Amino acid sequence: MRSKLNYLIGVSLKRKIKTKWFMAANILLAVAIIAVINIDSIINFFGGDFNEKTNVYIVDKTDYSYSLFEQQLIAANKALYGEASELYYELTKSDKSVDELKEMIKTNDEESDSIILEFTSSLTSPLEVTMITKDYLDYMDTGVLNTALNNTKVSLALMNSSISAEELEQIYSEVPINRIYLSDNKNSEEENMSMIMTTVFPILILPIFMLTIFLVQMVGAEVNDEKTTRGMEIIISNVSPKTHFFSKIIAANLFVLIQGVLLVLFAAIGLWIRKMLGGSSITGGIGAEVTGMLDVFMSSNIGKSLVYIVPLAIILIVFTFIAYGALAAILASMTTNTEDFQQLQTPIMIISLVGYYLSIMAGVFEGATFIKVLSYVPFISAILSPSLLVLGQIGVVDVIISIVLIILTNYILIKYGLRIYKVGILNYSSKDLWKKMFKALKN
Amino acid sequence: MLKVENVTKYYGDFLAVDNLSFTVKEGEIFGLLGVNGAGKTTTFRMIMGLLEPSGGNITLDGQAISYDVTDKIGFLTEERSLLTKMTVLEQCKFYGALKGMHDKEIEDRLDYLLDKFGVIEYKNKKIKELSKGNQQKIQFITAILNKPKLLILDEPFSGLDPFNVELFKKEIIEMSKQGSMIIFSSHRMEHVELFCQKIVIMLRGKSVLEGNIKDIKEKYRQKNIFIKGDVNKQDLEKVTGVVEVIKHADELEVKIEDISYVDDVFKKIKNTKISKFVVEEPTLNEIFVNKVGEVYEK
Repeated sequence: MRSKLNYLIGVSLKRKIKTKWFMAANILLAVAIIAVINIDSIINFFGGDFNEKTNVYIVDKTDYSYSLFEQQLIAANKALYGEASELYYELTKSDKSVDELKEMIKTNDEESDSIILEFTSSLTSPLEVTMITKDYLDYMDTGVLNTALNNTKVSLALMNSSISAEELEQIYSEVPINRIYLSDNKNSEEENMSMIMTTVFPILILPIFMLTIFLVQMVGAEVNDEKTTRGMEIIISNVSPKTHFFSKIIAANLFVLIQGVLLVLFAAIGLWIRKMLGGSSITGGIGAEVTGMLDVFMSSNIGKSLVYIVPLAIILIVFTFIAYGALAAILASMTTNTEDFQQLQTPIMIISLVGYYLSIMAGVFEGATFIKVLSYVPFISAILSPSLLVLGQIGVVDVIISIVLIILTNYILIKYGLRIYKVGILNYSSKDLWKKMFKALKN
Repeated sequence: MLKVENVTKYYGDFLAVDNLSFTVKEGEIFGLLGVNGAGKTTTFRMIMGLLEPSGGNITLDGQAISYDVTDKIGFLTEERSLLTKMTVLEQCKFYGALKGMHDKEIEDRLDYLLDKFGVIEYKNKKIKELSKGNQQKIQFITAILNKPKLLILDEPFSGLDPFNVELFKKEIIEMSKQGSMIIFSSHRMEHVELFCQKIVIMLRGKSVLEGNIKDIKEKYRQKNIFIKGDVNKQDLEKVTGVVEVIKHADELEVKIEDISYVDDVFKKIKNTKISKFVVEEPTLNEIFVNKVGEVYEK
């Protein structure tokens, strides 16, 4: 005879996966993920150029500023995008008049992003600039150009003070910084990676947050559906509430596992397409800075420590998903209609959202005791602890404490929550609901 | 045999079922009657193992209620207990598998029953797309899919037209003939009267009347006389032993305290022109209303 637990798990999974909604959602997810990974190719396909350089036309009426500006622009570009980066601007010392260039930008679509810089001088300033564009400039362009122009002006002022070219080069060369860390196992690569990870984390942890929501909704909606249709009476007369409870949690966890694998598969397909389109490297086309970032990441201590960070994170996430599933099932068992369940979902969502935001902001807390303590808190530890571990703000021991606490939470939820579940699934009246549940807890 | 022995159920301090006892033998159709809140559903839930009695015992063929025993029970709840997003086939496979049936066995039996109830074309339709009456048919089919040894029917005819009521009745009687025990609950006393050999009337958790319907009716003192003819209602009301005279479309219904007053009524009208004078047992509905009323008055 087949196991009723396995059968219930199978039915729950089928009810979720064999739906048009699941198919449609995953097609959309696949398209979105593959498109984001290949965004540069898509832009190129529609006539744009992801790596297209911005034309900068210089009308140098001072006759001495152009070469200095060129040097300063290269330096500013490297400071912002890294040593390995290429210059994002195509500089041209133009013989045309400003009016002619204006007309060209206005009428020629290919030149619509171009920038005109008119260099002049006055008695009070060695360099005055008129910047002309068709539309607004973005934040990065403004930053690079302003830095380069200010440094050019300073250079001109220094040159006017009879400072030689060699001296000027020395002044502008980067300060050699000898970085020393008093704590053990700290290095500059990891420090740089921490900065990078602060930007990358919100993207990496978003799927975990999404899967948590899928899981809560699946468990809650199923229990609520079976209860409100009174199908629960037939089911519970043939299987124990305990079997039913575990079947929901296991099915929901298997579902998020399948969904998680599908997300990874979509990303893999996206990267494979990228490799096909971009050549030898999966980062081909995005630019040297991403490739560089990946190389730094893989060679850094963080890259190496992924060997234990990933398994720890997976253990923590699995136990947290079980806890979310149990909590959703317990709360759903107490509801008497669909509206009730929607309201009860809100606190679970808020807990999950708090974890997500704390994780995004993890870099800001710089190892404060406050964030360390929060990383132990069950339900939010799954996304907060791994983030802090990668950033070096907590250690492996702290993650193990989080795992122990979430296991303990699961034990409490299953031991006491099951008592509520047994009473809740067959209770159809919202009268004295909490009283009934507390009583069930005591029994 | 189903044995319910001195069963009591408390919800906190509230006594929902009070020392209830009855037995249902193989092939017997048993009526569990009562007003809303009398304790019928609680009793059903205890038989199904959904609730544990606070006291007393429930056994089916000598075995205490367990998940092995409930596999032999079919249960049709008063409210729809169908998962409406499933198709008829999926739903029946689901409930059938929970009863320990195999897919092939479920599908063969389902085809037979769908055909018998004239709904074979809905096999792959979603339950939410069916009419209320067809949903009730499917619910009935899920309850008898496993050829249950004990079938519990809580208001089985709700939402059904007279034609389908007949269809259900036939199936229930056929199952009873094949040896199934059937417990039946309904507010429609004419249905109970047609089916059940034995009844229990419950009120506030207690059994207030129980036994064989025939015996109950015979023992019940009040009788009814149906008279058709040129008879004055007021004259009859004055006769000793007459409790009430009700005027129907073309006849009078005279309720008398007991059988001994039949002669007095007949003497009163014997000189008038009458075409019908029939003494009948009271209906189950009357007995029910009177019994419940008596207890309420107490």
